Formats: sequence, C-alpha cells, structure tokens
Amino acid sequence: MSVSANDNAAKVSVRGVLAKYSVLIAFAAIVIFFAIASPTFLTPANLFNVLVNNVVMLAIVALGLTIVISSGGIDLSVGVSVDMASMIFVMLLAVGYSGVVGVAGGLGAALIVGILNAIMITRLNISPFLATLGVLFIGQSTQQLATSGGQPIYLTSGYAADQFNAIARTALFGMPTPVIVLIVLVVAVHVLLHRSVFGRYVQAMGAQPGVAWYSGIRVPRELSMVHVLCALLAGVTGILLSATVKSYVPLSGNAFLLDAIGATFIGTTLSRERKPSVIGTLLGVLLLAIVKNGLLLVGWNFYWQQVGIGVLVFLVLAASFGLRRVAH
Amino acid sequence: MQTAKRDIAVSMTGISKRFGPVRALENANLEIARGSILGLVGQNGAGKSTIIKVLAGIIKPDSGSIVINCETVSSLTPASVEKLGVHFIHQDRLLVPTATVGEAVFLGHEIGLGPFASRRAMERRAADLLKRFFGMELPAGTLVKDLTTAQQKVVQITRALAQKASVLVLDEPTAALVKREVDSLFDVLRRLRDDGIAVVFISHYMQEIEKLCDRVTVMRNGTNVGTVDPRHTPIGEIIAMMIARDVGEMFPKRSVTLGAPVLEVSNLRLDGSFENIGFNVRAGEIVGLTGLLGSGAKEIVQCLFGLKTADGGQVKVEGRELSLSTPVRAVRDGIAMLPEDRRAHGVALGLSVRENISLASLRRYSRTGMVSRGAENQAVDSLIRELSIKTPHRDALVRELSGGNQQKVAIAKWLSCQSRVYVLDEPTVAVDVGAKVEIYNLLNRLAGEGAAILLLSSDLLELVGVCDRVLVVYRGRLAGSFSGSAMNSDALLAATSGARSNADGVAA
Repeated sequence: MSVSANDNAAKVSVRGVLAKYSVLIAFAAIVIFFAIASPTFLTPANLFNVLVNNVVMLAIVALGLTIVISSGGIDLSVGVSVDMASMIFVMLLAVGYSGVVGVAGGLGAALIVGILNAIMITRLNISPFLATLGVLFIGQSTQQLATSGGQPIYLTSGYAADQFNAIARTALFGMPTPVIVLIVLVVAVHVLLHRSVFGRYVQAMGAQPGVAWYSGIRVPRELSMVHVLCALLAGVTGILLSATVKSYVPLSGNAFLLDAIGATFIGTTLSRERKPSVIGTLLGVLLLAIVKNGLLLVGWNFYWQQVGIGVLVFLVLAASFGLRRVAH
Repeated sequence: MQTAKRDIAVSMTGISKRFGPVRALENANLEIARGSILGLVGQNGAGKSTIIKVLAGIIKPDSGSIVINCETVSSLTPASVEKLGVHFIHQDRLLVPTATVGEAVFLGHEIGLGPFASRRAMERRAADLLKRFFGMELPAGTLVKDLTTAQQKVVQITRALAQKASVLVLDEPTAALVKREVDSLFDVLRRLRDDGIAVVFISHYMQEIEKLCDRVTVMRNGTNVGTVDPRHTPIGEIIAMMIARDVGEMFPKRSVTLGAPVLEVSNLRLDGSFENIGFNVRAGEIVGLTGLLGSGAKEIVQCLFGLKTADGGQVKVEGRELSLSTPVRAVRDGIAMLPEDRRAHGVALGLSVRENISLASLRRYSRTGMVSRGAENQAVDSLIRELSIKTPHRDALVRELSGGNQQKVAIAKWLSCQSRVYVLDEPTVAVDVGAKVEIYNLLNRLAGEGAAILLLSSDLLELVGVCDRVLVVYRGRLAGSFSGSAMNSDALLAATSGARSNADGVAA
C-alpha cells in the first residue's frame, strides 16, 4: 500500500518537474535536434549571427508589445513605428545630419506614432485593435507617399555609412552595440513591468480595467504611456535595423508584427501565471529565432520554414499544456 | 381559499434549514397552485430565496417534505427538478451572450441527430415557440447579447416552456426592466397562467405584486407568515406582515461619539436623475442612503466618487471643496468607494490578494516609482490579519477566495489608503450571512476610528441595524431622514416605495 502510494507521489513529482521545466526541455530538444541535423548550427559564429540578426530586433519590438499586451491592449502598428523611425533616421543622415540627430529624429517619429495611438485609444475611446490598425494603414501609405511609391534608400558609403557603422558595430566587451542595447532594455522593461508602480498599474488595467479606474488610477494617462513606450521601443529597432543594413526599405517593419505578437503570447502561455512577462517573451523570441535559423541551415526554403515554425509552436504549447494538466 | 388537491403543483411543508447559527428557514410552507400567479414577498433575509433554492435543488433542507405534481420527492437536484417541470428564471440572466436565440432556448436539450445539433431546426422551433406564446418575431439567428433584457427574460421563459414547464419561478424579473417591458412581461405571465401554468413571482415592488398576483405569500424570519389576496388587501397590511420586529444580533451594537462633519453635500444636482440633495456625514457616523432603482440614490453615490459628473452643487471633505470630476480625484481627496459590482469594479480576480490590497495606495509603499515589496508585504499581511481575510497566502489569486473574503479584500484596499470617507454601494450583496456580520463589524470599527460612512443599500433591515441615520431618496429628491425610533423598516419601506405618497397622489 504505502509503496504504491510512494510510487504515485514519485510519478506525480516527476511529471511536476517535467511540467515546470517543459519549456527548457523543449528548448534543449530543439537545440539538440538542429545540432545533429546541421553541423554549423552550434558553432559560435552561427549562434552570434542568430543573436544579432534574428533575436535583438525582434526582441526589442516584442518587449514593447509585452507592455501593451500586459495592459490588456494590442499594438498592430509596431511595424509602422519601426519603419517611421528607420525612415526619418535614414533621411536625416542622407542629407548630412549626424548620427545623434538622426537617432533623435527617428525616435521622435516613433514617438509621434505612439502619441497618435494613445490619443485614439484614450481620448476617442477607440479599441486598441482598431486604433492601431488604422495607424498601421495610415503609416504604410505615408511611407509610400514619402518614398515615391516605396523606393528604398540605400546609404552604403560616405559619411552616413560611417555613422551606421558607428552604431551597428561599435563593440563593448566584444559585443556589438545592438546586443548591449537589448540587454539594457530587457533589464529596464523587466524592472518597469514587474517592479515599478507603473508596471503594477499596467497589470491592473490588463486584469480588470474597471477595478483600476475605481482604485483612482489615472487609466488614460497610464495607457498613453504604455502605447508611447511600445512605439519608442519599436523605434529603437527601426534605428538598429537601418544601421545594420545601411538602408531604409519601406514597409519592412511589418515583418516584426506577427513574430513579436507570437513571441509574447508564447511567453504568456509558458509562464506560470499565464501573464505576459519579459522573461517569457524573451524565451518566445529565442524559440522562434532558433527554429527559423535551424530550419534554414537544414536547407528548408522560406515557405517550409513557416510551416515548420507553426508546427513547432503547436508542439511546444501542446506539450506544455498537457504536462501542466497532468501535474495538477 | 381552500384549493382542491389536484390543483396544487408544488407543496412544500415544514421546511427548515440552518446555516451554522443562523436559521434561514424555520418550518416554512409554500403552496403553489396551477393556473395562478403567486407572489412571494419578504425582506431580504426573510427566507424567500432560500426556500426557492431548496425547491430548485440547490440547497438541501434539514427537514420538511416536498410534493411536486402529487409526487413526494426526497432528494432534489437542479436537473431532476427541471425534469419534474419546475423551471427557474434567476435574477441574473444566465444565457450565453454569444449564443443564438435557438441555441439558448434549447441549451442542454439540443434538437438534432446524435451528437450533431441541428441549428436550423432549433432556430425554427424557437421562432415557432416565441411566436406562438408571445407573438414575438426575431430575425433568425439573432444573438442573445443583441436582445434587450426583457427579450432575454422572454427567451428564458421560452426555454422553460420548450421543456414543458408546469411551474415557473421568476426571481425579481422586473429589476432591470423599464415600465413598458414590465407590462409586456406581465401580459406573458398572465397568458401562461391562463394556460394552467403555476407562476411564482418574487418582487420587492408592492405595486407589481398588487397588479399581477392572484395570491401573495409573505415570508418573515424564515417562515411563511400568511397568504393573502393582494387585490383585497391594502399594501400597508402586507408590509406590516413583512417587517421583522426583532433584528437580533445580526447587527452588532456600538456606541460612538460623533465628531465634526467630514462629508458635506449641499445642493447636489444631476439633471434627469436627482436635485437639491444636501446632507452631512460626521466623523464616526454611519449614514444610510436608500431608494428604489431609478430613484437617484445610486447616482448620488456615483457623483460623490466622480463616476458621474454632477451638474451642480458642492461637496466638501473636512472643509475642503472637491472637484469630483473623476475617481482619480475622489481617491486623492480621501473618498473610498466599495462598488456594487465587485467583480467588475471592486477586486481584480486575476490579481493576487496583495496586488489588490495595495492597488490604490501603491505610492505609500514605493520610492522613486519602484514598489518596495518589503513595505508592501508588511502592510498587506497586517491587513489580512486585521480583517481575518481567509486566504492561503498573500499571493493567492483573489479568484480563489469566497465572495465575503473578496469583499474584505476590496475594503482592505481602502483601509490601506487610510481614507476619510467610505462610500459603500450594496456591500453585502451576494455575501453569506457570516461574512455580512463581519462586514458590519468592520463598518463599526471604521466609524469608531472616526471615518464618515455613507451606506447605499436596498436592504432595509441592514440599514436599520447598522446606520445612525437613514436618508431616503424618492424620485430624485430626499424624501426623508430617519433616525432613532423613527428609523424603522415600516417607515423606510413606505418612503422608498412611495406607498405613502401614492396614497394621496403627491410626491413626497
């Protein structure tokens, strides 16, 4: 009797451990799979490439979306913030302004997108989904109008290129600037969302907006701040993107939207409390980036990569849900 | 008055039920006749809803017998009661908002082949029934959430009829309806009665009882104290039967010396709702505010907290005039609000006890915008202890707590703010008796510490038991202020329901 009870307890706890670490286990499994399938996958050069090209920019956009989704909203216009920052940044450099002015101008452009979202949501009471969808449409057209139908701007040589290099390549402790920016922003957003008064208000608005309002929280103001922060973070990605590829390609920011939403929700699903979190979002970004890169190395073309990502996301989430249910 | 045996649809005799030390039902009897509308009235806590819950199979009685359609039933469950043809239309609508009318009518009894529900067949049958019983035509596939509250009631009734209901119990069905909808609902109920269905109608509105019911059973202190014909019995007499003379130890006694006025309201006006409202609440005083739905009592409270912007008048807290534009300002000015809809406005179910309690006072536990978890934990723990909030730990989700404990969390949020004025909107709705007493004790303690308390409630016994003074609002004006021996349920009930003013045709 007592033996079998012990067996049961042991089994349950094994399952509990499995459920608790399912993300890490799935992660490890994916890494091992690609390491076996492709000899280049686990090389430092490739991992560095994944970090710089796939993780950093997506992660910064996803950080912004994590704040917005925590507040119970959504921002479909993050791509526009990326593009607007990128466009103004590149245009300012193209006419000879310094990198500092360019960065300020780029962030200013993203700020305007954020303020536009904030006004529509908090003053006109339009739902975040529709408001940011509207801004998405307007932002896309604006870019096409400003670039005679979507002509990219390349600045591959001269003063501007030097400024780009200064941003993209300057290294501290052997790390390129974008990676350092990411680390700083991850820490900052984590503290803001999970340690600060503002973060607590954001969580309250996300959990039950009526309660936040009835508790004397300045909901419109906090919500405006949420959308401005999200746009600014996306703007940072826009600047890093342009500095890396030395160009501005209209509408390229949209590629981040679905991946960033996906990463945030994967993070939400994997978290214990089922709430968006900075750590969860980072895990989601890493998962997406590794799977994309791995499938590329294995030789799948772009379209099959998308299928592979979809299937893997399902598998990881299903495993997590299943194990969690067993654990309870 | 004697009714032939075969005409009795439901007969409940000698029903008793205790919850701990509280007697909810004591040897109560209820007889429901076919082809007649029975009113069921009584103060809150008189046992109306308990005896209905016993009939619905939700509460098991300690003793007593129940005969449904000449058949003695021993253990009732909600499902077995429905099978016997007894259906309940509860106060809160219990329809799936995104279901179509057809799906709502046949929920749980879907028409179709095996596991496949035939939506088209259900829509058609539902449309047939609605047309046949109520002459109501709705576009095929209309969603429940697009219906008016009255239409939803009708859909619920149709659901009961679709399953061959012989007894229909409606709990406060008119609470959220406008006059015209009430009239059409009454027509529906009369038609059902004429078809031989037994209807039970629970309402606080005496005029409705008088207008609709063939008989009315009055409950008091957990038992039935009489059944009369409302058309031949003056309302005053029914009210006299309802009033419990002994309030008992439900309401803890207290003795407080009142201080200076803390909340001063003068000439407050909200167009279309109320006007010329003026009153004070002194330190240590508990002032009750009551009135029927639509009387303006609720709107007064909403204006005080900045949820609605008053069109005129002045509100002062400790001598300072308030702007009262938003709850943000109200909270800063020291007004605490315990809202009626706890789940929407009182506590965030998805947040922890800790996060809820500190939500309105985070600035106290933070430095340079960062929350100091140590200070927060300490304050939250001491409030959990002080209010004896039953929670596994401070980080448990509020969702996991009972209704009474959720309400205590909502109160703790304001204690943590050290508010001066507490405005409570129906604080004991959907809270069990034990938790009610705890909340009353808490109010007494707050008052004892010098807070000014304004208690909006429709529970007259609660008002009499807890308050130093009760203000009655009738049609947007203060119809009276009652204290001392003048503050009794008779007087309050008369003033709120306008029975007195109706009698001589003049608004008070």
